[in-house]
Amino acid sequence: MKSQSCERYLEDPEANAGHLAECAECSALFGESAVPTKPLRFDALPLAPWEGAKHRAWPLVAIVAIVLIVASVVLCKIAGLSAAQIADYVIGSMQARRAAVLGWAESMPQGVIVAAFAVVNVVLIALLRRAPRGIDA
Amino acid sequence: MRRMLRLFLPLSIVAASLVTAMIAAPQPKNPLDMPFSLEHAASMMQQSAVTVSLIAVWLLAAVGLTLMSGREVRSSSIELRNSALHCFTLGLVAVTSFVLTAIVFSYLIPFMVGVPLLFMLAVFAVITKIYGLVAVFHALGALTGGARTRDQLASRSWLRGDLALSVLGLVILGALRLIPVVGPLIWAGASVFGVGSALATKFGRREPWFLAVRAMSS
Repeated sequence: MKSQSCERYLEDPEANAGHLAECAECSALFGESAVPTKPLRFDALPLAPWEGAKHRAWPLVAIVAIVLIVASVVLCKIAGLSAAQIADYVIGSMQARRAAVLGWAESMPQGVIVAAFAVVNVVLIALLRRAPRGIDA
Repeated sequence: MRRMLRLFLPLSIVAASLVTAMIAAPQPKNPLDMPFSLEHAASMMQQSAVTVSLIAVWLLAAVGLTLMSGREVRSSSIELRNSALHCFTLGLVAVTSFVLTAIVFSYLIPFMVGVPLLFMLAVFAVITKIYGLVAVFHALGALTGGARTRDQLASRSWLRGDLALSVLGLVILGALRLIPVVGPLIWAGASVFGVGSALATKFGRREPWFLAVRAMSS
């Protein structure tokens, strides 16, 4: 930027548009480039995952919750189950799974288990080192 | 830090309660001898009642988690959709690791350190499963009912936003869960995907699990 004319152009480019024809430096910086540019159309851009993400669809949540609760109560009434029995069943099935795993572990030699533990955790660490792709994909 | 606490504190409380309930509940000699035995469970109605009740509990978890940390859930959901195979592999390896680590920790029970280690592992596994499955709900909702264009997004009044996508995914996966035999397998597969996506994105925070050590050039 050399002259006052350049400064005037910077302050108000539209009013001093003729300056670009006089000053080669400003023309190189702010003039129309030789590379043709397309106007950016916002609607043509792909929808970003966060657009509209904060919207909270409470009616949908309420409808689904009501349907699920009513269905659950009706089915439990028909089947003659109480909430405590359902909790018993869930905890019992988890304990059964735990017992099955421990039973399987007892049947295996400890050395095999420890070796498998080491190998699997090395593979896990190797997989965890990969950076997530996420939005860059 | 506050976001992290907001996500992990309630999840940890829920997970710790579940693990405590599992440990503290009287151990049945045989699961079939329980009051709710196989002969009762064989009835389709009872199975459906249990499943629908559990789906209602999952709705609570999905809504709560999406409201508390929607950005993290969305991040894990995007990762799941972009690299599903990696998430599945990571999930399978992680679940195997949980099981083997639990067995190895059980060897340490006589040395006192085994019990707290097992408890912490169980809490971590439950947190990972809950968070991961909610991310799967979101991913499934986004795949099936997510808006593709801005016009579509603007024209929708209900089916938009993280909350709606999570609930939609839950409804779809819950409906699939009700199919006999195949349903539990689909749910288990979704859990593996979920565990993988939760760990791949470090619970949606997209931070590395391990610091990279680089040799300093002189």
